[in-house]
Amino acid sequence: MNQALLFQRLRVQLLRNSWHVMVRQSSMRPLTILLCSLIVWVFVFTISWGGFLFLHTEIGVPLTGEIVGILLDLLFLSLAVLLIFSSGLILYSSLFTSPETAFLLSSPVAADQVFAYKFQGAVAFSSWAFLLLGAPILIAYGLVCEAGWYFYVLLPLFFLGFVLLPGSLGGLAALLIVNYFPKRRKQVLGICLAALALTLTVWIYRMTTASPSELWRDEMREAVTRLLSYFQFTRNPLAPSHWVSLGLRRVVRGEVGVALYYLALVWSNGLFFYLIAAVASTWLYRRGYNRMTTGSDFWANGRRLLAARDTVSQLAGSTRRQMPAVRREFWMDRLLYGVLFFAHPCTRLLLIKDFRTFRRDPQQWGQILAFCGLMLLYFLNIRRFVEDVSGPYQNSISFLNLCAVALLLCTYTGRFVYPMLSLEGSRFWILGLLPFQREQLLWGKFAFSLTGGCLIAGGLVLASDLMLLMPILPVLLHLLTVAVLAAGLSGLSVGLGAIMPNFRENDPSKIAAGFGGTLNLVAGLLFLLLILGLMAAPWHMGAYLAMIPLLSEIDPGPALLSWGFLGTGVVLGLFAGIACVILPLRAGVRALREMEF
Amino acid sequence: MIKLDHVTKKYGTKTAVQDVSLDIAAGELFAFLGPNGAGKTTTIKMMCGLLFPTSGTVSIGGHDLCRDGDRARQLLSYVPDQPFLYEKLTGREFLQFIADMYGLSRAQSAQRVAEMIELFELHEFIDDLTERYSHGMRQRTVFAAALVHEPRVLIVDEPTVGLDPHSVRRLKDLLRRQADRGTTVFLSSHSLDVVEELADRIAIIEHGRLVACGTLKALRQQAAVDGPLEDVFLTLTRPLEDKVTKL
Repeated sequence: MNQALLFQRLRVQLLRNSWHVMVRQSSMRPLTILLCSLIVWVFVFTISWGGFLFLHTEIGVPLTGEIVGILLDLLFLSLAVLLIFSSGLILYSSLFTSPETAFLLSSPVAADQVFAYKFQGAVAFSSWAFLLLGAPILIAYGLVCEAGWYFYVLLPLFFLGFVLLPGSLGGLAALLIVNYFPKRRKQVLGICLAALALTLTVWIYRMTTASPSELWRDEMREAVTRLLSYFQFTRNPLAPSHWVSLGLRRVVRGEVGVALYYLALVWSNGLFFYLIAAVASTWLYRRGYNRMTTGSDFWANGRRLLAARDTVSQLAGSTRRQMPAVRREFWMDRLLYGVLFFAHPCTRLLLIKDFRTFRRDPQQWGQILAFCGLMLLYFLNIRRFVEDVSGPYQNSISFLNLCAVALLLCTYTGRFVYPMLSLEGSRFWILGLLPFQREQLLWGKFAFSLTGGCLIAGGLVLASDLMLLMPILPVLLHLLTVAVLAAGLSGLSVGLGAIMPNFRENDPSKIAAGFGGTLNLVAGLLFLLLILGLMAAPWHMGAYLAMIPLLSEIDPGPALLSWGFLGTGVVLGLFAGIACVILPLRAGVRALREMEF
Repeated sequence: MIKLDHVTKKYGTKTAVQDVSLDIAAGELFAFLGPNGAGKTTTIKMMCGLLFPTSGTVSIGGHDLCRDGDRARQLLSYVPDQPFLYEKLTGREFLQFIADMYGLSRAQSAQRVAEMIELFELHEFIDDLTERYSHGMRQRTVFAAALVHEPRVLIVDEPTVGLDPHSVRRLKDLLRRQADRGTTVFLSSHSLDVVEELADRIAIIEHGRLVACGTLKALRQQAAVDGPLEDVFLTLTRPLEDKVTKL
């Protein structure tokens, strides 16, 4: 049988069997996943549909014009960058570090066939989110523009052709990095991410320093032109994201011939880059695997430097090696150990272990750092966006910022805290045999998550409120809300993580994307809405009502009502937070006690 | 059938295998011994084409693994110490996949899969997903997959770990039978009793260097020990300071 067909059959068999197992174990699981996906899809569709309709009918922005074109350009460019990184990372792990790798490479299967098989999986896995989030936006766009049926036919074709290109670039980058920087892979990735973050920072800075003080001084038309100039880079005629954007707008206008030209452009370039990546894999895949395992440096200089460093350390008498274990610990570990003086020694040790695991994996904290950095950058520059930070702007922006931080917190607990117990994996028996009560394990993880969550989210909210010159009461209220959210979300993630552990999986992202992870995310989002609604919304609503002069003069009732709401909301929110800590953790402890090793 | 010609393999600045030469004939059951970290697995990985030698050549059936790797790998089967199975495939689907991967025709693969199921007594669980298999069931399935395409070279790394005495007996019979049928069996193991019972020739590697290679009788002469293989092995791989003390 043809090797390509062989791998396709393998994929179909694996998917079919996985589906049968999932349905057999619990028919609720696929139904819940489908339902959650449907809810998200409908939500995004409704928002997008409303947004496009508003732009078109209320503001009068032509939907096939340049402004919407820039939005589409930006959407596809962002998608391309994300796809390059995500497909590159997934391909790297599936090509070089998965247990399947050695099995396939010791067989007579051609290297490019293995690459093709892994490439399809990586691109599908990294771009499925686009189907969930991007498709409803574009379908809403087509509906509001009253596009013909051919728009909906060409849309998936544009998308399929488009994902080939960033996927190929990601795959090619993975092959080259492993071949030429076999021992410095993480550093290279770090440099790429830092360069990307720096570019983004400079761009945001330039844009924020120019707007709105400069922008709104001009006439409206000039202001918009100036604003658009900051997005000019997304409209490079050689950018495939621009071809997709142009193509889709042409389809909407009914210019199918031109759209097909852009479609052909996207596909031909996508296939060409895939071909380059596939040909490169025939030379570089096996060699890269050998280099990564062997750890041979590409540059002889590097090797000489390493040898020299070893010699120096040997001559120095390796004093570090003679130091007692405690003194060799990293300062962060010592600091954390000291800060947690109140906790049980075993819990402290477990926390140190979790912290070490976390900080030694840049893939984990790198994402949080990037999100937090961008958010902090925005908060610190917030006054550049809005000159007058008092009144309704201050009120609504501070609440929206709180919501954004709460979402980040929910992502943090869902993505990093929920998989923590599952990641103990095959080593779980070690923890099971340790001379302490098993609930300490959960409390340790809870304390780790709560500490991290409070520090990150609290710091961000404080930065936002200080920059917005918020009064002391809402600042304290926001910090209390964040603390309750951090506690509740940590309780949910740790508890559900113990109730539904997945000890077979080593990849935290796959654990978080599984059934338990999805359930945890949905539960977390509902809890988030509840707490924000109970604890923060009443004050903001009251403050908004108080800003309506006529209303407050005629009837002071709404303001008084909001104080009542505020008090009741805070108390109810605290109860909800406590319940969200105790109930999942208690169920988690029970599950952990009954767990056999 | 297996030929290693002055093979050296370096991990950065560390030499894992140094100037190893071996020539193993068809139908020979060749055992490869050595302490932990001696370079056994590295040597095996070079013989499977997973790693490339820093210098020297490795060839299987006359095909150089660096230049003509796919053809060389077509002739061999490798059973690692931690074998891989697709968790979401049944045993039958896995055997079929391997048969297809090695290019067996539909009729051939059907016949061979049936023979392997019979030989390894897989009937009871062959249509279950492999994620439910016990260690013994996994090991039997892996050996069935390794032999389904009738390889000319069978490379086995630590096959007896975790097996019960009955399974070990079956495994020993199987390896001997394979060698008698003309398959070259390359066995890496720490189970010295198994090696002593089965091997035609034994090689011992230590710190990446081949310290001994020959029949058990030749090794006994080299070590000047007239006892079981365990004594021979311990004498030949004794730490350097022990040897100096003895002198």
